Amino acid sequence: MIVAVTASIRPLAAPARRDAAVGVAGVVVALVAWEVLARSLEGAFVLAAPTAVVVAIVDNGPLLGRALAATGSTALAGFVIGNLAAVALAGLAAAWPRSQRTVTGLALIVVCLPLVATAPLLRVLLGPGDGPQIALAALAVYYTTLIPLLVGLRAVPDTWLDLVRVAGRGAVTALVVVRARASVPYLAAGLQIAAPAAFLGAMVGEFTGAERGLGVLTIRASRDLDVDLTWALATIAAAVSMLAYAIVGMIGRAATGGQPPTILAAPRIAAGPGRVRRTLASTASAVVATIVLWWGGIILLGITPFVARTPLDVVGIFAGTRDGGLTRDALFAALCDTAVYVVPGYIAGLAAGVLLAVLIVLAPGASGAIMPVAVALRSVPIVTSAPLIVLLLGRGSLGAITLIAVMVFFPTLVACLHGLRQAPGQVLDVMAVYATAPWRVVVRARIPAMLPAFFAAARMSVPAAVLAVTVVEWLATGTGIGALMARSASLSNYDALAGAVVLVTAVAALGYAAVGAIETRMLARYAPEQAS
Amino acid sequence: MAERRTLSRRTLIGAGVLGAAGIGAATFAGVSAFRNPPRNGTDVALQLSWLHSAQFAGSYIALDRGYWSDAGLNVSLLQGGPNAPVEPPVVSGQALVGVSAADFTAAAVAEGAPFKIIGVAMQNNPFVIASLPDNPVNEPGDLEGKRIGMALANTPTLETLCTLNGVDITAIEIVPTQYAAQPLTSGEVDCLLCWETDLPVAMEIQGVESITMLMADYGYTLHSQTYIATDDSLANRRDDVVALMAGEVRGWEEYRLDTDAAAALSVEMYPDAGLDLETQQLQAARQVPLMFSELTDELGFGFWNEETVAQNIETLALLGQSVTPDLWDSSILEQVHGA
Repeated sequence: MIVAVTASIRPLAAPARRDAAVGVAGVVVALVAWEVLARSLEGAFVLAAPTAVVVAIVDNGPLLGRALAATGSTALAGFVIGNLAAVALAGLAAAWPRSQRTVTGLALIVVCLPLVATAPLLRVLLGPGDGPQIALAALAVYYTTLIPLLVGLRAVPDTWLDLVRVAGRGAVTALVVVRARASVPYLAAGLQIAAPAAFLGAMVGEFTGAERGLGVLTIRASRDLDVDLTWALATIAAAVSMLAYAIVGMIGRAATGGQPPTILAAPRIAAGPGRVRRTLASTASAVVATIVLWWGGIILLGITPFVARTPLDVVGIFAGTRDGGLTRDALFAALCDTAVYVVPGYIAGLAAGVLLAVLIVLAPGASGAIMPVAVALRSVPIVTSAPLIVLLLGRGSLGAITLIAVMVFFPTLVACLHGLRQAPGQVLDVMAVYATAPWRVVVRARIPAMLPAFFAAARMSVPAAVLAVTVVEWLATGTGIGALMARSASLSNYDALAGAVVLVTAVAALGYAAVGAIETRMLARYAPEQAS
Repeated sequence: MAERRTLSRRTLIGAGVLGAAGIGAATFAGVSAFRNPPRNGTDVALQLSWLHSAQFAGSYIALDRGYWSDAGLNVSLLQGGPNAPVEPPVVSGQALVGVSAADFTAAAVAEGAPFKIIGVAMQNNPFVIASLPDNPVNEPGDLEGKRIGMALANTPTLETLCTLNGVDITAIEIVPTQYAAQPLTSGEVDCLLCWETDLPVAMEIQGVESITMLMADYGYTLHSQTYIATDDSLANRRDDVVALMAGEVRGWEEYRLDTDAAAALSVEMYPDAGLDLETQQLQAARQVPLMFSELTDELGFGFWNEETVAQNIETLALLGQSVTPDLWDSSILEQVHGA
């Protein structure tokens, strides 16, 4: 069982005081490096020094405060709504197990929807006000909560469920009395990842015409060449994201007694001869559910045919019956351009996550230096970091690949770090007795223990990488499918937009499934208990 | 047993705190969305094409001085943004009138949107080639051999400029960039395709001198900041459309008399937009020659004549868009200026 393995984690931790000292030193070094880099780039209007950022924050205090309140409140509303939706879906799946695959399939499809295209549609649907920001924040969080929660709801000893059954109660009682409690640590882990995501989701939502907020000011500052304010905004966004991550983490630890659960654990993999058939059936049910919601939504909400495209229209686009395949060919050409960035960026992000996690385990003190920088890197909005990374690494593929890697590596790092610490204590003890070299412990004990978490992160990172590449293409490189979606929206080419949404979603979902297939094979070998 | 109870209580408290905070936030968000007290009059919305700034200061004057409320309209100005197309809210009726541009309008019409251009705020297209003085682009021929930073989406614009002026576009290196002055200041590119009124203004405020070559001076005739409305609105909500446009015309005529005051009003009306007064004043002054011309002096703000429409149709044809003069409907402006 998953829970049984979580036993000995603590021995890894170095004395807390040394950790803290390294952490402080790491932050100081990072700040000095930032200041030096900013000063050496003066005149390029790319990076503001920390000192200039402080001045900008003080100078614009009230304005930034109001913007923070606006973005913070929409992010919080989205956080609550998204997580409540996740809890409700997970509850549904647990109380009615047959629905689980449809629920997760549908949830995956929704999370793969490219926000470059969905954001303006949300504005059309929800009208002026805070609707799109809240919706995008909710969309940014529900999936990372749903998946660990589903794992948690299953992470229950069968004997407890037997007890419920002996008492003559059914699935709902089991859900309320047993499963809900068992899932709390998993819920806490999901919520922690969700907190910064909600904030970034709300900021991007503001790009659709919000009246106020940090996202609105970011657009303004970057247009105005106000580098100090741009980086002041990025610093605030990063600080709030880190704070939210820390606070939700603290609440989670308080609620769960400090034992971190196996986050992002693998789904129970269907075994036996019926597997292919069941997989196909569940895929089909998710696709059908999507089409019903899509088509029904257009009819029920009365979306104008100028914007709305039905599934039938999209079939026409790809079959070439609408415009002789013109749109289809443009979409596939753009998708090929995108693949050049997203595949290396995704792989580089995964590799960076694993390497950093291993580094932290081999030299635990490094955690204090790496983690704050890692959280910060992940938290700086891409619209701000893109110009800097592009300037440092060039406008070619390297810059774009790096941006995607930055978006992917953080969840991988967190998951792998946790996975590496899942190595069974007894195994580590035996290795310690034989004075096994640290790297050998990593290779022989910790990496195999890490694989389930790594693959789960790799799976979940597929939609994240697709999201990252479309945003990078939209905001920074102006190429590929991300730019095509933005261009289609401004030129009212809703055929291309609908086609792009379907294509991007399908590619992301297929990528997810492909990683899942590799995962199944690997886990059958290295973590058979996951594949039971 | 005891441990389980503790766990449950703590969880509940944690969830309760989060939930309460969230409900509070949701309420706050809901309240702030409807904070404007209802007033008597017809509610109409004008969908702007970009973030609040002096770019729309004529509308702010109309709102501030009550040109619309006097006419029985309760106008809300909906802000645009980088991911906020103007056309859908106008088609769906969320906005009565939208601020678009001739090329975007033509594209939407080709996709079946029932739009008419009912007014033209920018007679001269605001697109420029911005460069630095030590490596200037003073005329289209100077583009050859240069690296130009622009969104790839604007390639047809550059192609059209090259066609109109006999410039070899293959001699220009197009560097896809985000819409910002930074690629020019950091030396990644030699020039930018941008608006006269935004990036060059930003550079000037930051102390970077730049040279702009207005594309409208080299044959790129394309109406910008065009007012669009649907055929349905023109037929069934005509009085509202006329009243809205009458307010716009008055607002922009006032704007022209004192652009500094218009800029100050923009900063004052939208304190959360982060507007800088000096930047807004410069922008407000710079857009005057784009919005007013001998033609508007003669016919009135927002107007066009057969000749400029023909030129627009030619430019649109070079951009790959085919439209007819019917796209421009002068009846609203005739009513406004006749009244």
